[in-house]
Amino acid sequence: MTPVRVLVVDDSALMRKLIPQILQTDSSIEVVGTAMDGNFGLTLDLEMPGMGGIDMLKEIMRRHRLPVIVVSSHSTQGASVTLQALSLGAFDFVAKPVDVSARMPQIAAELIGKIKAAAQSRGVQIRPMAEGSRSGSKASLDAKRTPTKVIAVGVSTGGPQALQYVFSQLPADFPGTIIVVQHMPEGFTEMFARRLDEICAICVKEAQSGDVLLAGRALICPGSRHIKVKRLPLGDVAVLSDEPRINGHRPSADVLFKSLADEFGPKGLAVLMTGMGDDGAQGLGLVKAAGGMTIAQNEESCVVYGMPKAAIDRGFAIRVVALDAMANTLQAQSMSDRRRGFTAGSGESGKTAGAGQD
Amino acid sequence: MTHSSDERGAEMRELFFETSQELLQSLNDEALKLEKHPADVELVRSIRRIVHTLKGDAAACGFHELSNLAHALEDALASESPSSHDRLAEVAFAAADTFGAMLAAYQRGGKLPSTAPLAKMIRELSQQPKTAKGSRTKLSKTKLSNAKRSRKAGPAGAVPAARTEPTARTEPAGRTAPAWTEYEKLAIQNAQSRGRNVFHITAGIDPLCLMPIAARQLVLNALKASGEVLGTRPEESSPESAKRLDLLVASTKSAEQLSARCRIPSVISQVSMELVAGAVPTRKISAAETVERKAASAPLPFFDAASPETAEEHARGDKTNHAPAENILRVDAQRIDSVLDLVGELIIGKSMLQQAFTEFARHVPKEALRGRFSDAMAFQSRVLNDLQRSVMKIRMVPVEQLFRRFPRLVRDVAKQCGKDVELVMRGQDTDLDKSLLDAIAEPLTHLVRNAVSHGIESSEERVRCGKPARGTIHLTSYHHGNQVIVEIRDDGRGIDSQKIKAKAVETAIITEEEAGRLGESAILELVFKPGLSTADEITEVSGRGVGMDVVQNVIHRLKGSVEIETRAGQGTTFRLKLPLTLAIIRALLFNVEQRRYAIPLNAVAEIARAKESDVHQIHNYEVLQLRDRVLPVVRLGRPPELGIESGARKIFVLVISMGERTLGLVVDSLHGEEELVIKALDDQSVATDLISGASILGDGRVVLIVNVPAIVDRHSQARPQQEEGIVSGLLLSRADRKNADASPSEVRP
Repeated sequence: MTPVRVLVVDDSALMRKLIPQILQTDSSIEVVGTAMDGNFGLTLDLEMPGMGGIDMLKEIMRRHRLPVIVVSSHSTQGASVTLQALSLGAFDFVAKPVDVSARMPQIAAELIGKIKAAAQSRGVQIRPMAEGSRSGSKASLDAKRTPTKVIAVGVSTGGPQALQYVFSQLPADFPGTIIVVQHMPEGFTEMFARRLDEICAICVKEAQSGDVLLAGRALICPGSRHIKVKRLPLGDVAVLSDEPRINGHRPSADVLFKSLADEFGPKGLAVLMTGMGDDGAQGLGLVKAAGGMTIAQNEESCVVYGMPKAAIDRGFAIRVVALDAMANTLQAQSMSDRRRGFTAGSGESGKTAGAGQD
Repeated sequence: MTHSSDERGAEMRELFFETSQELLQSLNDEALKLEKHPADVELVRSIRRIVHTLKGDAAACGFHELSNLAHALEDALASESPSSHDRLAEVAFAAADTFGAMLAAYQRGGKLPSTAPLAKMIRELSQQPKTAKGSRTKLSKTKLSNAKRSRKAGPAGAVPAARTEPTARTEPAGRTAPAWTEYEKLAIQNAQSRGRNVFHITAGIDPLCLMPIAARQLVLNALKASGEVLGTRPEESSPESAKRLDLLVASTKSAEQLSARCRIPSVISQVSMELVAGAVPTRKISAAETVERKAASAPLPFFDAASPETAEEHARGDKTNHAPAENILRVDAQRIDSVLDLVGELIIGKSMLQQAFTEFARHVPKEALRGRFSDAMAFQSRVLNDLQRSVMKIRMVPVEQLFRRFPRLVRDVAKQCGKDVELVMRGQDTDLDKSLLDAIAEPLTHLVRNAVSHGIESSEERVRCGKPARGTIHLTSYHHGNQVIVEIRDDGRGIDSQKIKAKAVETAIITEEEAGRLGESAILELVFKPGLSTADEITEVSGRGVGMDVVQNVIHRLKGSVEIETRAGQGTTFRLKLPLTLAIIRALLFNVEQRRYAIPLNAVAEIARAKESDVHQIHNYEVLQLRDRVLPVVRLGRPPELGIESGARKIFVLVISMGERTLGLVVDSLHGEEELVIKALDDQSVATDLISGASILGDGRVVLIVNVPAIVDRHSQARPQQEEGIVSGLLLSRADRKNADASPSEVRP
């Protein structure tokens, strides 16, 4: 196997030394060089003098479409820039936590894992944002309007971009409610939710315990907590918890999917989208077993075809849908429940996984 | 793994200390610029980037105190409004100093300096934009702690794990209601629509109660009997043992009845109630809540004000290259030195070969191989020269590394003295040997400091003299021949030579009589004498560090010289002349008393031939008429024996110039020039300062290198005291002297 060739760009001489050292512990990665600013030109620091990280990213995406992994600092400022980078087509990011020295091994493993995934990825496709999504009216949250469907989404690498693409296509009167588990560290999810809220017609918010599941609303699970759904007399809520990591993740899509299956059964809809690993696959099976709908993103539109593949291979995905058709499918699924009909969504390019049919 | 990672950690830290010095320097640079252009947003950004990098690097090395502080500063800078940029520069300076002190402490493994003043500045900075909104700040603070708390618990059945909150669990001062979750709000609405009264009950648990969690349960049970509990803080199943209990109760009963139920003796010490107003709006909660969450998730840096020790003197000067382009290797200076040593040996080897070849050629002049030998040797010597130059180049660093610290220094000193001074630097890219650069750092700092505190007058005085109010100091560096010149020129009042003379006489450095004899330049040289201060009063600024005598000592030790030029009312120039490098010099070889010596070629201005009879005696010294000049001469060897033919004896005179002074050295014979690799001599081998080092010649002979400044010094000092009045025999050894029988000597035992 030819080694993955990596270029490290950082304005800190220390990081230019440290990162290659980390990477060289893995024999399948070759650091071809380091550069102090974007004029050289794949780990990437976003705060650099000269050609800054964001400018450089635009340049890379315009010219070469190389996968870029952002090494981001853990701050409000850092989160904002990092998310901007992700929406511009960065493959993924690794957060440098405050106690970076103590957690070096984990960070090293994460970085190496993501680099390898990036090398195998088909790359991030930059999709134009849905037209008019910004100008359209904003969803108004009304406690009286109970959601028709509870949609749980599990997503990892490539997620920020994919979610942005899908959510921006959902209309303000979207009848379902969405709960998202996006593998992302603490601090980033809040910024991510706010970004989505700004550009989408539906309301997006980082979930807090006790948040009510409302039609036209999407709740993003905060980093480093688990999220579950719960039915209560006055309405359905999201509940956060601090249980241990599942599949190495917190939040874990499996935790969310399991609670979806337990609480909502056939009313639940679980969606497993692009990402490394197999988090969510088992949960998707539970949702399916409980009579709910399960959807996996198709291989072609995945940045990393890991989690959906795990579910599809095990026959847990009832439908396999391309990212382009995802918004329509969700819309149709939410509507179809109201109409009590199970007609397949109109004009979707989704194909049915054979294993999923009875 | 652990072993290698330990090693890696040490290496990382090393690199960190090095790069962080650069970062601090840049921080100083940018802060200076910001002070001049307070409105430049780009500078603020640049400062923030520097702090950002420092933060990341510090975190990677596990220096959390520094990382946290930098983080706080970065955040404060991000929220900065352009209006307060002048204060920002101050903060940046303070940050650079504090960071520097912290770094020094980390490096020595010492106690960290107090960071409290900087932390306070940062806090003020980050709070400033918000103060306009007054009470809003306070509100958001309370909200923040509530949001943090509410995050901990779900409305029902959430399993809370033992999760340590990073923030201090301070109770809001007022009786602010906790942030109820959406579901709880929904429940309030629902209860109200059913005609219930909803109360927010705050119950203080008796501080003497040993089981606060049980107390909580008691209250809950009591309330559940008379109403519906919609929510509790802390959460019902939470292990948190708070001293305060917040309850949301829907009931048809009156406040008094509920309150009475809560008052469980020896468990609950106080109860207060509040009717929750109707219709909590649930519409558009998302926007409001996200803002709140934003405040909550902004990491709260902690400030470590642990040790109140004063900050150590600022960290050591920057040592590394100023513009780290990507292909730079950071190499231990010692490794380069050892390469240089080897190159030195090679050069000696080359000389040996050359010598052997010359002899060989003499022996067999007809040998055909001679040409080929000669070619090969020419080639070898050319490569060797390149090699030597390359290695020397490695050691060369731009003088900017040193210059960079001066803008800040000038600013600080000027501020201290209440003066207005501008520093203009030129020739920062002039290369200089690294060891030289390090060595001149102190003297140069002293000179610059002096220029500001003594040289430049106060603004009023300057205006009175018809000069611009702002004084200017020029710091210039350039190559001149085989030397590097560093000039510090101020446009201040100049040095008053009469004053120096008076002071020198007063402090008994010279006598009245000597004073009369001294020329202008000689008087100026007196400032280098220990114990002579040109300032009327000794200020804190100029009193620090090294004195002028130390400046001269250092420069002389480096085989350089200091020149002073001054004009009353127009300013003073100090000119440091330094050899390009310390390791290898071109030298002129000469013989004195059958012994071979070398003198650095750059000290030799001219070689003259003269006859013994051309040397005259004036007063007590010997002079030589050289063209239209009268040149004082020094005999390095024995004075000529008086005889008939002695006057006709031919002598060589090396004209050396040191600063303002020129001097002739009388030597016996000359033996060409050679590149010498200087070997240091320890004090045991040579007990005189007249010799600065030694080298090995191609034929294996050892040659001593004379210390030109010391000779010049000796000449100027020795004159009047000499009984015989003639300076001679400087280089005679004790044995020589015995033979020569008591000729005056300067060589110390």
